[in-house]
Amino acid sequence: MSAFAATAVSRVRLVRQNVEIRRLFACVFGMLVLALMTGPSGSNTAPVSGFTGSLFHPRVLVFLALGVGLWAVLTAQHRWGEVIRRTSNNVMTLPRRVMPDRRVRLFVYAVALAIAIILPLHVNAFWQDVLVDQIGIYVLLAIGLNVVVGYAGLLDLGYIAFYAIGAYSTAFWTGALPVHPPMVVNAFWAIPFAIATAMLAGVLIGAPTLRLRGDYLAIVTLGFGEIIQIVATNLQGVTGGAQGVIGIPHPSVNLLHVHYSWLIDPLPYYYLLLAFVVLALIAYSFLEHSRVGRAWTAIREDEVAAESTGINVLKYKILAFAIGASTSGFAGMLEASKISFIEPGDFTVQLSILILVLVIFGGMGSLLGAVLGAAVLQWFPWYLREHPLFGFQDQDLFIYLGAILVIMMIFRPEGMIPSRRRKREIGLSEHGVGTADAMSGSSSEIS
Amino acid sequence: MHRKIIRIGVPLVAVALTLGTFGGVATASTSHSSDPTYTIAYEGPLSGGNAQLGLNMKYAVELAIRWANQGKTFGKLPFKLQYTEQDDQGSATQSPTAAEALVTNSSVVAVVGPAFSGATKAAEPIFSAADLATVSPSATNPQLADEGWNNFFRVVADDNAQGPYDADYIAKALKLKSIYTVDDASSYGSGLVGALDTRLTHDGVKFTHQTAPGTTQCQAGTGNVQEYGALASQVVSSKAPLLFYGGYYCDFALFAKALRAAGYKGQLMSDDGSLDPHYVSEATAGIANNTLVTCACAALQKNVEDNSFGTAFKQLAGFASGTYTPEAFDATNVIISVMKSIGPHVTRAAIVKALHKTTYLGITKTIKFEKNGNVSGKTIYVYKVEKGKIVELGSTLSLIKSS
Amino acid sequence: MCFTQNFWSFLIGGIANGFLYALIALGYTLVYGVLQLINFAHSEVFMSGGFAGYFVLNAVIGNSHPSGVDSVLLVILGTAAGAVGGAAIAYLLERVAYRPLRRRKAPRLAFLISAIGASYFLYNLAGKEFGRNAVSMPAAYTNGTVFTVFGAQVQTYYVVIAIAAMIMLVVLDRIVATTRLGRGIRAVAQDAETASLMGVNIDRVIAQTFILGGILGGAAGFLFGISSGVIYTMGFTPALKAFTAAVLGGIGNIRGAMLGGLLLGIFENLGVTCAPTEWRDVIAFGILVLVLIIRPTGILGERLGRSA
Repeated sequence: MSAFAATAVSRVRLVRQNVEIRRLFACVFGMLVLALMTGPSGSNTAPVSGFTGSLFHPRVLVFLALGVGLWAVLTAQHRWGEVIRRTSNNVMTLPRRVMPDRRVRLFVYAVALAIAIILPLHVNAFWQDVLVDQIGIYVLLAIGLNVVVGYAGLLDLGYIAFYAIGAYSTAFWTGALPVHPPMVVNAFWAIPFAIATAMLAGVLIGAPTLRLRGDYLAIVTLGFGEIIQIVATNLQGVTGGAQGVIGIPHPSVNLLHVHYSWLIDPLPYYYLLLAFVVLALIAYSFLEHSRVGRAWTAIREDEVAAESTGINVLKYKILAFAIGASTSGFAGMLEASKISFIEPGDFTVQLSILILVLVIFGGMGSLLGAVLGAAVLQWFPWYLREHPLFGFQDQDLFIYLGAILVIMMIFRPEGMIPSRRRKREIGLSEHGVGTADAMSGSSSEIS
Repeated sequence: MHRKIIRIGVPLVAVALTLGTFGGVATASTSHSSDPTYTIAYEGPLSGGNAQLGLNMKYAVELAIRWANQGKTFGKLPFKLQYTEQDDQGSATQSPTAAEALVTNSSVVAVVGPAFSGATKAAEPIFSAADLATVSPSATNPQLADEGWNNFFRVVADDNAQGPYDADYIAKALKLKSIYTVDDASSYGSGLVGALDTRLTHDGVKFTHQTAPGTTQCQAGTGNVQEYGALASQVVSSKAPLLFYGGYYCDFALFAKALRAAGYKGQLMSDDGSLDPHYVSEATAGIANNTLVTCACAALQKNVEDNSFGTAFKQLAGFASGTYTPEAFDATNVIISVMKSIGPHVTRAAIVKALHKTTYLGITKTIKFEKNGNVSGKTIYVYKVEKGKIVELGSTLSLIKSS
Repeated sequence: MCFTQNFWSFLIGGIANGFLYALIALGYTLVYGVLQLINFAHSEVFMSGGFAGYFVLNAVIGNSHPSGVDSVLLVILGTAAGAVGGAAIAYLLERVAYRPLRRRKAPRLAFLISAIGASYFLYNLAGKEFGRNAVSMPAAYTNGTVFTVFGAQVQTYYVVIAIAAMIMLVVLDRIVATTRLGRGIRAVAQDAETASLMGVNIDRVIAQTFILGGILGGAAGFLFGISSGVIYTMGFTPALKAFTAAVLGGIGNIRGAMLGGLLLGIFENLGVTCAPTEWRDVIAFGILVLVLIIRPTGILGERLGRSA
């Protein structure tokens, strides 16, 4: 009797340890979750109707079949499984393998720039607006946050605060706020003011808090992001309060022989944004390979060692913060003057987190990764709204986004296109040598 | 070198072709029958923390279109109507893009929405440039009417109408000398209570004002529910005979519960954001009873509960009609009514012109627009929760006269 | 006057809130102790507990008005249901979102993103399945004044929270200090590699840690829902506040989380008279920043391994 039980237990243990059985469960489970996600919704009064409608319904058989099919493909012992795995690996590493060649790289960049310039001319006004408001701004924000998180390895959860500061200073200097500036400038000339104010804010916030350890810095920046939103809501006499600020003028240039006004059309804003993105990409790329960039890498990989070689860690951290803030400030200025209206509800903590997600999804520390990650993750939901997939409802967008994030991190935690250095760091950390990011900066403890 | 260029070139071309799908925007297809087909769009929050309010309105618009197509509301129409929606999450950052989507959709002839005032402020310049009529069921910020947008209409009275009328009611009908006012720090609540407070001073009523930011239990606020307990203690010790809350039903329900639990015995009062049966169900009937709620909408009970509208809505949406549902229904119907008067060939500009001239009897009020898009007639009605149901007491002016 | 007006009533209310924060904060601190990971999805564990308690109580109570012993049993049932719901979601999180990353030794930012993704996924799925309106919890007891302290009324609700929380906190403290599981948790928190060399099954300890945190967080969700109702977005603010409480007390330190939670609840309430409501969050964060600058490891320091 006990022998029977023993063999049963060991058989169960064998099953549990058997990789293929586990994979089967995982595939089927995943597909059932997908069935639930694409199924009907429940409500307060009928909470199980969503479950019964999705799972106790003939359609669940389709998903079960898909689950088994997926498992079969992944487990396939013969050529096809291998071929699929090898191709997917090849595709994922394609950019990194061809990029090292400098001529190839410049060619690719030139083509990409050409596409970026020509593409918007061939799409309708809606997609042009998506390119500016929903994709372009986020690409710029991702590039900026990449400097903070990717280069310097600082976990910033309140990045949107600088965006808000840029937007409100634009409103201030163009005279749209209840309080009036010493001199009213055109929105275009408010750009340096917005950037400078954001940078100043970055320095002021960074100075006392950047000494803190990685996780604590996360909280403090999170708190600061919330504080900015609360202050904007409460100071009704200064910021217009919860009702926001309406009537921020569009930018225009009236200099020498150049007269140009931006109006409602999204296309001119796109080109202004593109110019700044290209500038930022070039500048940050140089920065990455300069002394400053090397200092950041040293700080990221081992702060104590960096300090002991004479690098002023705090100064470089504040520099990263300020540079990231400046990018965010410009983005704030652009949106404020394009939409002509800002309100505190635009600057939520969720937005800060979203930008962090974009950077890490794209690949930390890599400019190309930040750009592509932001572009893909921001484009996809708007594409789905216009061309809904089977069973997709607008309300359920975040369910899909969340699932994609989890799956991405499981299969490719370094992001879509990580920088080579990061990839090496991650590889080393997988073998137990050092850590790959800022979250375990235990060496910076003070007391 | 050649191989490398090919290995990059092919994927790049593939990418470019995929991106070419940018150009393919789904437009509503016109039906192949002889009747022209037009689309009425709804823009509002369908996801995110403000989703419930948006869903309240969305199904009302759908129901109105359905009934119109069936001939129930206007008899036989010389065209077919379709419904489309855009989710702006109630946010001023998403609404311009949502607006562009509707503007570039050539089948859309009018828009019900945007639902939120902030989203409207951001999106209206785009709608205005395209002369696309937007009839909002819920955007109450007074500034919206001052921006000179010819295509902007709303079927709700703005905050500057409701606030002062509520104040007059408190001062002259209830004859109170000092009250407590709280707003939820939202654009809606703070605007309304601000107008209320100003009028209270004018009427000689003293008030203590506090802001309690909306909580995560309600409209995607970031406020903390725990704060209601402490605030309730303060209200109790202030011994104010009435508390006016500017905000939405879900937060008001929690606040009401906290107030009663802290021992507050005074009168509870709120605005049309609380005119929702969920207020009663969430605060529980015992606490909700005798609450006063004001609204710029008439005879709601009679039209919504006893009429087939209420049941049909519940069947379509899966939940009962709530805040702004009747307004959205009216907004859609006023558009359809002017479309019918224009005839089988409707254009956006014609709708805008016709809306400026129309008078339409809706289920919430008689709808006639002033030049700036505000709905004319600022009658505010007072409702009371009795035995778990919301009943109308009368208009503020008539109640003041009879007191 | 600041802090002195309505002192006792605010203090009592603050202690009740503080217990809730403490329960949630423990979930963060436990997970942080063993994984050095901020479990961003803990807010969804809290929410699941709320919903689980709601469904069970709805099924059992329906429309009746229980009292006496029935009430006590129902509260226990609700808390248990919440605990089970929270534990289930916490375990699911660990298996689906974190364990694959641990296998691959992924960088910690990847864990963070996975947590954020799981959080988005869970609460939006709850919104889709259970509706987007808040629902109020069926009343297991009638709320009234149980007794008064220095003129401040103590509601039934506060008593319920206090008793439930204190029982759970004491039990947790004993589990961590005396049982084998507790020793395992402390060992893994101190040095995971050596612990595994000593024969501790890391995977099992981590899963059980998540479950422990889930029990506490889920129960807190139910208790919170009694007065505030249950909605799919309910997790965000309470969890954020609890997280700052955990950091305040010293992240990774169990007693620190309890202390941090209580302090946060008390000072949040007492501070009502010191500043207008709309500024309180600003002040709270300002204080947090100050504390962290002066004492970066939190009030009690951060050593789970030496929680005794």
